[in-house]
Amino acid sequence: MMELKISDLRKEFKDIAAVRNVSYTMSTGVYGLLGVNGAGKTTLMRMLCTLIRPTGGSITWNGRDIFEMDGDYRKLLGYLPQEFGYYPDFTVYDYLMYTASIKGLRPVTARQRTKLLLKQVGMEKAADKKMKKLSGGMKRRVGIAQAMLGNPQILILDEPTAGLDPKERIRFRNLISELSENRLVLLSTHIVSDIAYIANEILLMQDGEIRAAGTAQELIDAMPQQVWSVEAVKEEAASYMKAYKVSNVKAIPGGVSLRVISSEKPAGHAVLETATLEDLFLYYFGEKENDDKDVEV
Amino acid sequence: MTIRMLKYELKKVFLKTGSRIAMALLLILMGITCFFAMDVSYVDGEGNSQRGPAAVAQLRAAQKAWSGYLDEEKIRKVIAENLRIRNTPEALSQNIKEMNIAYGWQQGIEGIRDLLNCSYAEGFREHDYYRADSLTEDAASDFYINRTRLLREWLEDEAEDQFSEAEKAYLIRQYENLETPFYYDYMAGWQQLFEFSPTIIMLTMLILGYLVAGIFSNEFTWKCEAVFFSSVYGRNKAVVSKIKAGFWIVTGIYFMSFLFYSGIVLLHLGTDGWNLPVQASWTSWKCFYNITNLQKYFLIGMGGYVGCLFISFLSMLISAKTKSTVTAVMVPVILIFMPSFIANIDSPAANKIIGLLPDQLLQIKMALGFFNLYSIGGRVIGEVSVIMILYGVLTAALVPVLYQVYRRL
Ligand SMILES: Nc1ncnc2c1ncn2[C@@H]1O[C@H](COP(=O)(O)OP(=O)(O)O)[C@@H](O)[C@H]1O
Ligand SMILES: [Mg+2]
Repeated sequence: MMELKISDLRKEFKDIAAVRNVSYTMSTGVYGLLGVNGAGKTTLMRMLCTLIRPTGGSITWNGRDIFEMDGDYRKLLGYLPQEFGYYPDFTVYDYLMYTASIKGLRPVTARQRTKLLLKQVGMEKAADKKMKKLSGGMKRRVGIAQAMLGNPQILILDEPTAGLDPKERIRFRNLISELSENRLVLLSTHIVSDIAYIANEILLMQDGEIRAAGTAQELIDAMPQQVWSVEAVKEEAASYMKAYKVSNVKAIPGGVSLRVISSEKPAGHAVLETATLEDLFLYYFGEKENDDKDVEV
Repeated sequence: MTIRMLKYELKKVFLKTGSRIAMALLLILMGITCFFAMDVSYVDGEGNSQRGPAAVAQLRAAQKAWSGYLDEEKIRKVIAENLRIRNTPEALSQNIKEMNIAYGWQQGIEGIRDLLNCSYAEGFREHDYYRADSLTEDAASDFYINRTRLLREWLEDEAEDQFSEAEKAYLIRQYENLETPFYYDYMAGWQQLFEFSPTIIMLTMLILGYLVAGIFSNEFTWKCEAVFFSSVYGRNKAVVSKIKAGFWIVTGIYFMSFLFYSGIVLLHLGTDGWNLPVQASWTSWKCFYNITNLQKYFLIGMGGYVGCLFISFLSMLISAKTKSTVTAVMVPVILIFMPSFIANIDSPAANKIIGLLPDQLLQIKMALGFFNLYSIGGRVIGEVSVIMILYGVLTAALVPVLYQVYRRL
């Protein structure tokens, strides 16, 4: 059995409620935690990693409180923090070997896992490089390798693709989907395309709450409004954007084509479209993903 | 497992450029201190100062000629010899060169002559470099008696309110317990070793403070704490490894530097006089701890070690609590330099408090000379014994606190 159960979880920092009454149960599979900056994703994940104590509610693994399980729970855990730090003067190999030791891996296992993971993340050649000499993408790959050292049943990745260029990001997505077999992977992002294809379930988080959750299709089907495409002359575009949530504007000969989210037909000539996760994101969060590099994938 | 963690904790410290610079700096400063400690001069028959191994050998030979029990007869001889030299034309001359030649003759008895100045001083706290010159041989029988007499007079008069009756009795008893006549010998090795021991120990402490300050806080400055604390051993064995790393860094570097220093100095100046009472050096004539030079050496070494351990662990605790390396680095600096500012207050009560500060452990050589007594459970104990025990216990008590502070959520 594998069941990570979050019940009525709350976390307050002084006057901010970062996480409010979150309840959710996860088992094997990839869970995408989607939300804009400040939604509370990191706070939720830090609680799941026993780094901070909840203000209220509980987290249990197979019925046992994770804070009480202590080391027994952390043994199951792999975590890539949003701000992944490293020992600057350690080589990649030393970094992984040290992390393996605090994760309780025996020396033989540690060496095997380190070698295997270095290969898997494509860092074999850089094993003897100092951590501080690595590029951002390489550091992130070491970060993933580190999280995977203990062959964890629970893998928590906090914005693993943030700051990567589109090519690296796609490689990363593939890597994560490779690694996700037979474990519970919780991956946070504010970029839809990161999880659109690899997440089995998506949790939409906003202001510390899970607004909606389910498979991509379930979420799209349950979206209370429809998506329409409307062709208009350039001058009209602004008034559409004022009146509706517009998820995309494309120039076409003689004007623009807008993707409008609305519960009723925004114009006589509007055509009903199939909603995508991007539309959903806009619908819930009222703003576009702020990483524009990746909108068109 | 834990050995591996320890190894990497040490790597975290010593791979830092700053640590390497600090170590290099320690080596350089140690070299300089050793140089000064080894620098003994000998004035030859022409009145010229000589330095180096040959000078040491000559000084040693000159003083060895006067080695032996410092009994009445020996004192008589020293008084007579001193007067003889005093009355030579060279000594009476105003010419520097001539005076130097006279001083050269005096070198063999110089140490004993210093003791005469102490013994026959006008008062307990008086010191007159020329006192020995006005002595007659008849005074020789008072040499040891004077020591206790001056103490008694001081305790009855000037220092009357500074000590309780029990403390006064303790001091007098200690003085009377000194075995006399004691043996006298060349002992420049120990004297020089003691002289610069606070310098070496404090330098080592400052460097140690720098090295250990980051052990706990750097996980945060490097942003490694999330992975660290979410790992299996992140809240137990890995924390213990950090404490162990701190312990081994202090132990390793402290003894390397202290033993290196003592080794060099003693190798150069010799270990002669190891078994003499410390009172055979005029600077310790008034010392109430009845110990030998070798015992003093151990006290200085162990005191320094306990002091470095305590201060380092306190710095590590601050590092764990504040997550700031800079704050932690300040701890040893404050503990070493602050007391010398407040030490100017000359009140017995203030001295009692200052005497308990951890910097005293780094300068046991001085602490042995302070008349700081503490009455504990009806027993009178000297400062040195108190701080050794006190900080030994406090250091041990810091360990679990440090562990809990760092592992706590
Ligand atoms: N340690 C903290 N102290 C105070 N406020 C915090 C702290 N951590 C997060 N917050 C606040 O909690 C909210 C949620 O932050 P976070 O969990 O980092 O969101 P996300 O990861 O979705 O961007 C934000 O308003 C943030 O400012
Ligand atoms: Mg975040």
